[in-house]
Amino acid sequence: MLSFLSFLVFNALLACSLASSDYHERLLLRPLPQSTLLASFNFRSNETSAAFEQQNFRYFPRSLGQILQHAHTKELHLRFSVGRWDAESWGQRPWQGAREGGNGVELWAWIEADSDDEAFARWQTLVNSLSGLFCASLNFIDATRTIRPVMAFEPEGDHRNATNLHLLHGTLPHEVVCTENLTPFLKLLPCKGKAGISSLLDGHKLFDASFQTMAIDVRPVCDTQGQDCLLEMDQSVDMVLDVARSKRPQDNPIPRPVPIEQIECDTSKHYNGHDTCYPLNKGTEPSWSLKEIFGRSLKGACPLTDAGPGSETLCINTPPERDIHIETDGQFTESRSSADTMRCYQLPIGSDFDLVLPEQQMSTGLVLPEPQLYAARSINGHGQERGSAQSVITNPSARGMEVVYLESLPWFMKPYLHTLRAHVDTDSENPVRETYYRPAVDRQRGSHLEIRMVVPPASTLTLTYDFEKAILRYTEYPPDANRGFDAAPAVVRVLSPNTMGDRKGIYLRTTPLLLSLPTPDFSMPYNVIILTSTVMALGFGNIFNLVVRRFVGAHEVPQTGGLKAILQAKIARLTGRS
Amino acid sequence: MPRPSTSKVERTASHYHLHRNMTTPRGADAPLETEISEIASVSPSPSSTETASSPTTPPESPQSLWLRRSVLLSFWAVALLLGLPVWWKTTAIYRSDLPLQAMSDWAEGKVAKPVFPLRIAVEAPVLPQDAHSLVQTTQHALDDLNDFSAHQLRLMLVDPPSTGNASQQVVIDGTRNTGDDKDTALLVRLIPVETGKTPRSYLHPYSSTLNVYYAPSHMSSVSSTASPLAAFIARELHSVYAEEQAQLAHLLSVSGDHNAKVHSLSPDTAAELQRQSTRVLKYAPTYHLTFSLFTSTSIPSAWDIEAALRQYMAPLLESFSTISNFTIDTQVQLYATLSPSFPPPEYDETMKAWTLRNEDLSGFINAAEWPLSPSIAHGPTVNFALYVPEQSKSPLLVKDSGANSWLVPQWGGVAILNPSSSEQDATPLSALSKEALAPAMQTFSNQLISLLGLPQTPASLPLRLSTLARIRAASLVFSASSTLGALAQVYQKLPNIPVPDTVAQSVNRALDHLQLACDELRDGRFQGALEHARIADGEAEKAFFERSMVGQVYFPDEHKVAVYMPLLGPIGVPLFMAMLKEIKNEITAFRRRRSAT
Repeated sequence: MLSFLSFLVFNALLACSLASSDYHERLLLRPLPQSTLLASFNFRSNETSAAFEQQNFRYFPRSLGQILQHAHTKELHLRFSVGRWDAESWGQRPWQGAREGGNGVELWAWIEADSDDEAFARWQTLVNSLSGLFCASLNFIDATRTIRPVMAFEPEGDHRNATNLHLLHGTLPHEVVCTENLTPFLKLLPCKGKAGISSLLDGHKLFDASFQTMAIDVRPVCDTQGQDCLLEMDQSVDMVLDVARSKRPQDNPIPRPVPIEQIECDTSKHYNGHDTCYPLNKGTEPSWSLKEIFGRSLKGACPLTDAGPGSETLCINTPPERDIHIETDGQFTESRSSADTMRCYQLPIGSDFDLVLPEQQMSTGLVLPEPQLYAARSINGHGQERGSAQSVITNPSARGMEVVYLESLPWFMKPYLHTLRAHVDTDSENPVRETYYRPAVDRQRGSHLEIRMVVPPASTLTLTYDFEKAILRYTEYPPDANRGFDAAPAVVRVLSPNTMGDRKGIYLRTTPLLLSLPTPDFSMPYNVIILTSTVMALGFGNIFNLVVRRFVGAHEVPQTGGLKAILQAKIARLTGRS
Repeated sequence: MPRPSTSKVERTASHYHLHRNMTTPRGADAPLETEISEIASVSPSPSSTETASSPTTPPESPQSLWLRRSVLLSFWAVALLLGLPVWWKTTAIYRSDLPLQAMSDWAEGKVAKPVFPLRIAVEAPVLPQDAHSLVQTTQHALDDLNDFSAHQLRLMLVDPPSTGNASQQVVIDGTRNTGDDKDTALLVRLIPVETGKTPRSYLHPYSSTLNVYYAPSHMSSVSSTASPLAAFIARELHSVYAEEQAQLAHLLSVSGDHNAKVHSLSPDTAAELQRQSTRVLKYAPTYHLTFSLFTSTSIPSAWDIEAALRQYMAPLLESFSTISNFTIDTQVQLYATLSPSFPPPEYDETMKAWTLRNEDLSGFINAAEWPLSPSIAHGPTVNFALYVPEQSKSPLLVKDSGANSWLVPQWGGVAILNPSSSEQDATPLSALSKEALAPAMQTFSNQLISLLGLPQTPASLPLRLSTLARIRAASLVFSASSTLGALAQVYQKLPNIPVPDTVAQSVNRALDHLQLACDELRDGRFQGALEHARIADGEAEKAFFERSMVGQVYFPDEHKVAVYMPLLGPIGVPLFMAMLKEIKNEITAFRRRRSAT
């Protein structure tokens, strides 16, 4: 068994050495258990602050740069995510969760403004502009979905020159991330998906992944004296692909059963017969190539990357014994590091490049680093009026962890703070160290709950609170009201120990909650109108008739003809006959 | 008799009682019998006592008839006098009053016609009476030449060095330097010379001064109408302002002012002016200039745009600063492919170049992929795209003209930068130097000048700029007026749209500033006029594009019927039927009475 841990150090070192160059990109491939593959794309483009201020954009995209200037945004983090990172089988999250967002869209930014109101106005400008740029419903991040976190986020950039920074955070858990968000993402890259590793990114494969997250991070980076500042834009895409699913041909994507003759059966099973077959688990690594997995070929290197170690833009993290064949017409170099578990390639310029990994029986595997924490959150209770939420945070390590737990709840989910209970299975001491709570105001802002807690080693912390569900107004329901309402994922940040040593921090996020609210029948207003009108008409009719009609004795009524008299006569005859 | 006049209901009820309950005990019936006798006394008609074989309704007493009709009337009164106004009030759409008449008057050009009196200072180193008569003769000659009443040149005499007596209508005091005065359009400086062809003139390219050189002999005949010097000055002045007059006349005719038709434009000039006005950008106080480098491959990936802009663009923008401000941003875009629907360039053997067909140029900009989105701030964006074709497709030219740049009306300009052919074998440059950008920058400057609508003549830049200010002011006045007219039409034609008070405020402000702009124009203060016209246009646009005005337009009438029907149906029908019945009864009673008499 080979150690993997040095990989993280390796990556961090590379990041440091490359911070000075203007453009850098890297794709890291790492086979994961259950024949899945993690593909982690990272693109970093720098622009000097002077050029940025003068709006001379070279690597930094003009559209985004203007938005940031217009909204006075000094640091920006934008996430588009789909799916769940299966920490039990896939281990530690890419970038320790720092480049990951909650399901849907998550955005947080440091905005320069003199007052809170001004900051919020600029935040609105920012979300509206980004909404147009990324074809996402970011403009729905209004005051009810915006919070100002206190402990959960720290600026990554260098803000010595900026004063009066306001951190605002908004989430859209309901947003469906799809191809239309990838296209603008690719347009921001200098090589635009035409060359370099970005040529592998295809909407069909990306959004078919088991887990994918797209991140955009903009931050100022200064040297130690605070001079010579750069604006660094970090774009990353992390996706976990199911190898078998991704290899399906694009023109014939529907899986069809393999004829039974072609299946290798496990003959040791007692029910194995001529018509019964249990597929044989050969324990081999599946075969794949870049072209099969991504549905496109890698079109050489993006020529903007600098020479040196940064030019090795494709890395694969496998055991040394894994066979890898290279298919290309151009010049490339290969280098190995981290006890040969990391193979990096300098791609040829202008010619296609492909990695082919044959099916292989492996005797060794990589040790996947175990995540620092596991977190899960669920809704308990029944009925449409009340419920309770339960978060379970598990610390498998031998060291105590100090974490910040952040909840941004919609206003119609009203937590009762007095029911908040935190309890650790190995310790009777209250793990809560500090609580920050800003209650919701109906239709104006959501609840904001931040708790600093200590999770003792090898123990599980359970956090529960009760909440009440509000009844919405008729027009506040979305078109698919019966689907339920999403509550944003909780964010867990590990304060200490921080093993990464950089400013990105260690994060993990729970899955979003689906909250079912009492949903009315939407023909209700018309029913109400018709019912009240009927009641009023009934009352009116009675009174009106009593007041206006003339009442006379029955014998005084003249026996005129007419339909009624004929009918009466007939009925009288019928009853008389019977 | 108080008893019989009591409720009719009570009486009829007792009738029913009597009729149905024949088996009621006597004790209960005892008071009824007395009542029956009373009824008999009230209505002595024998019909009430007739048998059931031919029953007739007893005639009503006048009181009960009156009572029933007043009940019915009061129901209708409540519905019409209370219900209807309340309904009207609560469902009415708020429409604030707009000065509709004034708005349409402005749109039709009835209120004030912009006039452009230009003051031209004349500086003559001769005796005041000579100068005076020269100015008068020249003014006459000018007025004879001019056939466009809205645009007038007024000559004024200024004394060059000495503070002499101000003759005729000179409003400027002598201490002011007339050359810098913004209200004076042009300074004509008469200079006596002994040599060379006289009279001759020279227009300063960088100041608004026209030097007229004359021989002293010319001065002798200045008082006569046929003075050659006066005629010469008049001709010169007329030619200096010829293009401005043509443009203003074109503007007036386009805006529908019929008085302008007096000034006849030749069809060619009109077509040319039409072409110019379609390509000119809409006026704005701030323009955003975006310079983009599009490279079809990965090289060149950098350009020295900052230095190039400083050298080639900044002076031009500086001179435009009296009219508009400019912000600049630049970007580099690699791997910029032409749109798939764009026909690929063809190789032309004779030109030894790849060529684009003239008619395809409009599709050259790949709007779907090239990030040329407008700037986020207010104001229009002018795009300048520099395209570098790949080495194998170079040089790339326009087929017929062999040009490498073209202008996209109201959008910007495109230039193709072909890598210099002399060093074909050398590796292509990865960065473009300032010198390499020079031709493209000059092209962009020219494109910007024509996009901003700067006239081609006269040669003096300050004069062209002041002409532009006048044309801009006039076009803004017209556009604001027509916007107001359109708003008035919308207001009248769509009774459903709500009109908030802010619209009325904007309209009033726009009207005020329009008036001010026209006043300023009349007084010859063109910079102030431009300012007011800009505000007026902005307010008019704000009023017209008020967001809350579109909200309720499409609320359909069926919807309202669906809401009101369940209430109005069951209530309205009995009310109506009761009224009809009463009217019928009244008619029959009236007929009976007439037949009876």
